[in-house]
Amino acid sequence: ETVLIHGEAGPNRGARADALQWFADQVAERSDGDMRFDIQWGGALFKANAAVQSIADGVADTGSVIAVYYPQEMAGYGIADLPVNNPDAWVGMRATDELMRSSQAIQDDLADKNLVYIGTWTTSQVNIGCKGGAIKSVADISGKKVRGVGAYGKVFGEQGANMVNMSIYDAYQGLDTGLIDCSQGYSYAVAALKQAEVMDSYTILDWGQVGGLGIFMNKDMHDSLTPEQQETLASVGSDMADEFGRLITDANDKAIASMKEQGVEVITLPEEDRAQLVEAGKKFLDEWAETAGSAGLPGDELLEEYKGLIAKYTEQRDAEGYPWEAKSN
Amino acid sequence: MDASTIGMIAFAAVLILLALRVPIAFTLAAVATVATFFIFAFRTGTFMPERAIKATTSMVFSNSFDLIHSYDLSMIPLFVALGHIAYRADITTKIYHAAKVWLTRLPGGVAMASVMGCGGFSAITGSSIACASTMGKICTPEMLRMGYDPRLATASVAAGGTLGSLIPPSVLFIIYGIFTETSISSLFLAGVLPGLLTLAGFVLVIAVWVWRDPAVAPSTDQRYTARERWQAALDSWPAILLFVLIIGGIYGGIFTATEAAAVCVVSATLIGFVQRKLDWAGLWAAVKETCVQTSAIFLIAASAKIFVAFVALTGVAGTIVGFVSDAQMSLVVLMLCIALIYLLLGMFLDPIGIMVLTLPLMIPLVESYDLNLIWFGVVVIKLLEIGLITPPVGLNVFVIANVVGREAPIDKIFAGITRFLSVDFIVLILIMSFPMISLLIPMAAR
Amino acid sequence: MLVNLEKILLGLGALAVIALGVLITSNVIARALFASQVPDSVTMVRELMVAAILLPLAAATAARAHVSVAFVTDRFPDRARSVLIVAGSAIGMLALAPLIYSGGREFFAVVEKGSFFYGDLNLPKWPGRLLFLIGMIATFLRLAELTWRDGRTVLAGGVVSDEQQHAADLLAEKDVL
Ligand code: NA
Ligand code: NA
Repeated sequence: ETVLIHGEAGPNRGARADALQWFADQVAERSDGDMRFDIQWGGALFKANAAVQSIADGVADTGSVIAVYYPQEMAGYGIADLPVNNPDAWVGMRATDELMRSSQAIQDDLADKNLVYIGTWTTSQVNIGCKGGAIKSVADISGKKVRGVGAYGKVFGEQGANMVNMSIYDAYQGLDTGLIDCSQGYSYAVAALKQAEVMDSYTILDWGQVGGLGIFMNKDMHDSLTPEQQETLASVGSDMADEFGRLITDANDKAIASMKEQGVEVITLPEEDRAQLVEAGKKFLDEWAETAGSAGLPGDELLEEYKGLIAKYTEQRDAEGYPWEAKSN
Repeated sequence: MDASTIGMIAFAAVLILLALRVPIAFTLAAVATVATFFIFAFRTGTFMPERAIKATTSMVFSNSFDLIHSYDLSMIPLFVALGHIAYRADITTKIYHAAKVWLTRLPGGVAMASVMGCGGFSAITGSSIACASTMGKICTPEMLRMGYDPRLATASVAAGGTLGSLIPPSVLFIIYGIFTETSISSLFLAGVLPGLLTLAGFVLVIAVWVWRDPAVAPSTDQRYTARERWQAALDSWPAILLFVLIIGGIYGGIFTATEAAAVCVVSATLIGFVQRKLDWAGLWAAVKETCVQTSAIFLIAASAKIFVAFVALTGVAGTIVGFVSDAQMSLVVLMLCIALIYLLLGMFLDPIGIMVLTLPLMIPLVESYDLNLIWFGVVVIKLLEIGLITPPVGLNVFVIANVVGREAPIDKIFAGITRFLSVDFIVLILIMSFPMISLLIPMAAR
Repeated sequence: MLVNLEKILLGLGALAVIALGVLITSNVIARALFASQVPDSVTMVRELMVAAILLPLAAATAARAHVSVAFVTDRFPDRARSVLIVAGSAIGMLALAPLIYSGGREFFAVVEKGSFFYGDLNLPKWPGRLLFLIGMIATFLRLAELTWRDGRTVLAGGVVSDEQQHAADLLAEKDVL
């Protein structure tokens, strides 16, 4: 029996934790108990901003990595965080997963860092919740005190928001006291962090995702496994996107319903305003391509490939529906 | 040798080294490092020292660096600096003079005022350590100067600091809420009565202590006229202004608790300069003293963080919780076992570390007994706060010892704390026996 | 020489604390009055924290500011207690050595890769790592000096004390080396 230690910075509750637990259970099941995971939750072994070197150095065998903490080291994976037109969680994950597995440049870059890609999650699409005045158009963003993250946050800033830097955990209290007016978030995280308790409105942007979070493995450990074991990890890792897609879609629907129940006004941003945000995000794609180039990756090529994959899986979803819907029919 | 055996040996090694006067920070870091090396070296069954060195050093670095490289914890050096600057700018002396003048006829009145001040401070900032380090500098020297027994002067501040997490807002409740998917606002409300109950208990401890042994809190027969009293109150305006600034700023949505620390440091400095009580040399000396203190405090906290990561690797927490859940015990025995587990871990580890290690295992167990998670949260937070003042590793006590220096060695502080601990245990039993104490306010708020 | 180095590091640490106060307050004022913010202030605060906490650590060590449990060994004979105090400093070196090794590895890694923090200014990651390394090395040197000095005293039949000196005493201390 091979026991693999997994380091996870988040709690053992919520959709992401359920998917990780599913991953661990599936690996045990499909390997007939030959491989087992010991998951260390809550950053007990290492925090999210130390994940890459901790996995590479063997503090854990596998671990959850958030790309935004490593704009240079994880430049390739950071492609999934870009504010491109990418509103569907399952499509985003399938595109990211295929890119990470098929791109030789990314694989080599990871191997250099003693890492192997295993599987991916996503935050699902970026939305914004507010206390007080709601965001019903792009013009409403101007003058609001907003807690934003990544390139999305920078776009809010360019639309005239007064950006406030604070952790997602502080956002609850920030909204409560009025220190911030709005907090960028994802439906299921808003529910998990109980932010609906302190929000008046929640605006669905139908924009992009922060998708650069997933499971990576120490390469020495990976190389020491048998080909069958490696194959099991790869196939369960790939299937995790489908399972998480099912979980997250369900969790987001429930989160929205619960927000409405708690009296939060749920607003959908009009189509032309949404296009304005996607357009404003474009300059950050060039910025990313530059960073990727300095890390030795073909940035523009990868972007084209990624956009193509998003189109491919969007088409597949429209034609065949989500895989879990097919199963239940 | 398996990981949990290494874990048990390491706990024993910590106890022995601490008893042998090895500094706390060095003990925790050295034991955790060596034990982690052995866990990694023997993981695969064969001895692999090279990979173990890489993994061990990486783990100790990331955990200690991460703790220091923190935005939220910048609150601690800043609040410590506030204590030193306020002390040199005569702000603390003025407020203590006022307390003395007003409470002259109440035996132990100044210690009671300190506990309440501490409760208020830690309630607002939500950090027990920040409270102990600031109030330790502000209250303890003044009480010692008034002739209070060092045990009372230090223990009242160390105990008062533990109120920080029960009375909202509280970082620990937020983390608990996230780990258990319970309502954070309900948790905040649930902590209010138990927090006030603890505060009342602490005041009672002081009253009884001073009543039975009047020498620990000297009272004077000096009478003050109404005019003198109001003058003393008026003279303490800088402290009152700082207090209003913190409360107004945080609850008014102008700044966070971390930012409040910085704003207060700048304000206290300005007040000191305007009143001509503080000059550049005084400011520089205050900040240097701040640095020496906080670096020692953070080294302990960073070592404790390394120790938590090591304990995670051993799987000791899982073994203990698994043992309890396999035993199929009655509810009363279960709660006693849980209390015992948290008290034992609280002897060595910090509150956030304990939560991260135990909650993922503990909550399913608690749910299988169909217990109310809000109430359980209050019980857990109370237990964790007790851990801050229990030997051998009691972070609040170390902080006070560090701040006060040679006048109060830690065994004296621990000796004074036993009385406060006894009240803590009574409150704990009350909270565990009567869930209504916790649930009354959240239910009423629905 | 060590004392001078420690004094400089302590002074830099003190400057970092002042910078923390000024930086965070400026950010509050910028937000409340001018609807703006100091760019990447959170990252700068984090990096300054390393300076504020670790640069003074050697001076704190020289002042014997590390808290230990005294009441058991207070009952020991003076000589036995002195030996334990020397052992305590040696164990401190054991605790810090792995931190220096991995801190150095990490510093060179972030320099080589050109790692930075995602933000408005994309600030580099190396300064905080360098400050960590400097603080730890200086503290290690002071512990080595204490082990050597106290060890010689004990071997010569003397006794040593670990009673904390306060910062004021430390600043008055003459160059001992
Ligand atoms: Na609090
Ligand atoms: Na303790």
